[in-house]
Amino acid sequence: MIKKRWRFAVALAAAASLLATGCSGSASESEGPVTLTYWDFLDPSQDNPRAKALKENLANFEAANPDIKVELAVVSLGDMLNRLPQAAAAGQAPDVFKMFTPQVPQMAAAGAYSPLPAAASEITDWLRPIDTLAGPDGQVAVPYEYRTCAFYYNEKVLKQLGVEVPKTYDEVVTVAGKAAKAGVTGFGTGFSDADNSAIIATFFDCFMSQVDQPIWNAEGKADFATEKGIEFGNFLADLRDAGALASSVTSDTYGTVADGLANGTVAMTVLGTERIVTMASQNPDVKWTSLPTASTGDDTGATIGWTLGIGADSEHADAAWKFIEYMTGPKAAAVMATGGEVPTRAATYEEPFFSTPEAKTVNKIAEYVKSNSEPHTYADNWIAVATGLSQAGQDLYLNKKSGSDFITSAQDAANK
Amino acid sequence: MSIASSPRTQAPDAPPTSKVAVIRRRREDRRIWLYVLPVSAVFLFVFIGPLFYTAWTALHETTYYQIGEFSGLNSFVELISDPDLPSSIRTTLVFSLGALIIALPAGLLSGIVLNSLHRFKRSVRSLFLLTWLLSQATAGTIWLWFLNPNFGPATAITKSLGFGPTDVFSSPTTALLAVTLITAWWSYPQAMLLFLGALQTIPEELRESLKVDGGGLWHDFVNITLPFLRNTIVSVVIVLLMLYVQMVTIILVTTRGGPLGATETLSMRVFNQTFNDFNLSGASATAILLFTVNIILTLAAIRFRRKESL
Repeated sequence: MIKKRWRFAVALAAAASLLATGCSGSASESEGPVTLTYWDFLDPSQDNPRAKALKENLANFEAANPDIKVELAVVSLGDMLNRLPQAAAAGQAPDVFKMFTPQVPQMAAAGAYSPLPAAASEITDWLRPIDTLAGPDGQVAVPYEYRTCAFYYNEKVLKQLGVEVPKTYDEVVTVAGKAAKAGVTGFGTGFSDADNSAIIATFFDCFMSQVDQPIWNAEGKADFATEKGIEFGNFLADLRDAGALASSVTSDTYGTVADGLANGTVAMTVLGTERIVTMASQNPDVKWTSLPTASTGDDTGATIGWTLGIGADSEHADAAWKFIEYMTGPKAAAVMATGGEVPTRAATYEEPFFSTPEAKTVNKIAEYVKSNSEPHTYADNWIAVATGLSQAGQDLYLNKKSGSDFITSAQDAANK
Repeated sequence: MSIASSPRTQAPDAPPTSKVAVIRRRREDRRIWLYVLPVSAVFLFVFIGPLFYTAWTALHETTYYQIGEFSGLNSFVELISDPDLPSSIRTTLVFSLGALIIALPAGLLSGIVLNSLHRFKRSVRSLFLLTWLLSQATAGTIWLWFLNPNFGPATAITKSLGFGPTDVFSSPTTALLAVTLITAWWSYPQAMLLFLGALQTIPEELRESLKVDGGGLWHDFVNITLPFLRNTIVSVVIVLLMLYVQMVTIILVTTRGGPLGATETLSMRVFNQTFNDFNLSGASATAILLFTVNIILTLAAIRFRRKESL
């Protein structure tokens, strides 16, 4: 008898817990405060200018909108690219997420976005056209910050070598070879795909803009294995032959090269302008200038940067847009600028901060982005292009492939 | 003289043959299902269901994570005809067998050492188990940092000795060697625990009689330990091989399958196809292939056990 009662009690408890689980997901969220889930790669608890600016902006937004709470999840870009399409397919995409410009069309094709509301079209003072941030259903993201590529060099190393700052890529090879003989990495780049090939893909993007080589054709197929495209491969091959690449180049990432530049073991590199403020504080010997010129004599790179968009099937699209509008608006963007990020709207530059001496650097960077970069459209296979570049770069270095093989191999991988 | 057989007595547990007894037995048989059903439901939900779903996905076109039209065996045909597949299989074999060759004797040796200890047994066992307590991600990250060519401790050591930086993850050969060694280092305690359990079942009298006969350590190992451990060795081999064939995390954290696909095992291939290439159908086909490999390993183990018990 006791055994029977025990069994009945266990069955009842199991049924009750199942019922509770089933009921918990169906609670209505139509009233009361809204909680937005927000995916960002920046960790506000870290001690750096960009993280501090994000933390301040989140606090200010919540203070100005007491009925909206922002639940930040720190997700690296690599994880975001993996998890967003899954989350969207499962109906669990975040309300708002940051995404890098070249990957926006691919994430849109993967169904990760909700189209922006009509209110988004009321903002018209973007410094650059935003129609490149679109998916199959229209505008899906707005720019959060702008950046482009800049040429970084260690002034102390160049002085010790007795050379001027190179102005062309051929000169970079020559100087890099000399720097390598002096015991530093002549030119820092990386062929690792651990960080989604960030450094080689960004450099490639800017270089193709410099030589005016579209990456895709009208059918959306990668089509850059041309004479102009081969110039990029030849530059890398020349660096290899000059011994100017790091021995760890096949596993080096954006962060590795940036660290190397900061600690003086890398003589020159091409990185995004977002590192200018940080680099100045880490190593005063590191300076920056416009990109060396290629055969076209042009130093205009690609306008890239982080964007903000609303996640697929978000139940709080209005609140999400409110958040995005705030974060890209003048007040938040002015705070963000203290961290070295370049605001994207004209109205922001009327904020008092931009008239202060502290804003000198960010004003200079903003001017540089405006004069030395242009946005362009991306197809929905940037990840394949980036991975192809990494693989081709590893092949170039390990198996001594030519520049032409490099660019052809990267194109074939992108079109696989 | 006649041999009288003892009178036949009724076995004490012989079931009564009345109708009530039959009904009672049927009721008891039905109650067994109360215990079998939940386990079967869990098994269906976490194993059979996903297995069928994976096979179904492999038979359809996919776009990102959306399942499209039925495509038959196209994914399997693409898998078989992929020029990179032999390389992935070769890498899987080298990685799995390489890690096994290191972890198996290391686990056996550690088990023997632990079993022989009379003092500080718990402390030594805890030390040996330390690596197993780390998550795979932590283990991979520790070695990634340690072997970093720019600021890792290993580089500092090799540079101070007059050698260059430790650049193990930049070359295909050394990268594969590195992930194999890291995996063996992380996993040998599992073998050690299994061997330790088996070693403790060896009767002490056998060892004592061998000592009396003048047998040394080697004789002890060959004539007593190994025969007793034969079944355990097979079990450990199967368990470790299945672990290595399915290993993703350590490779993901250290090399992500590179450089140039040198460390892309079949499992890593499934990960890359799913999360980098967004090729769910292709990844499902590769996963079915992996499952087949695991089934073969398990059947081999069962067959060996059956032979031993005959």
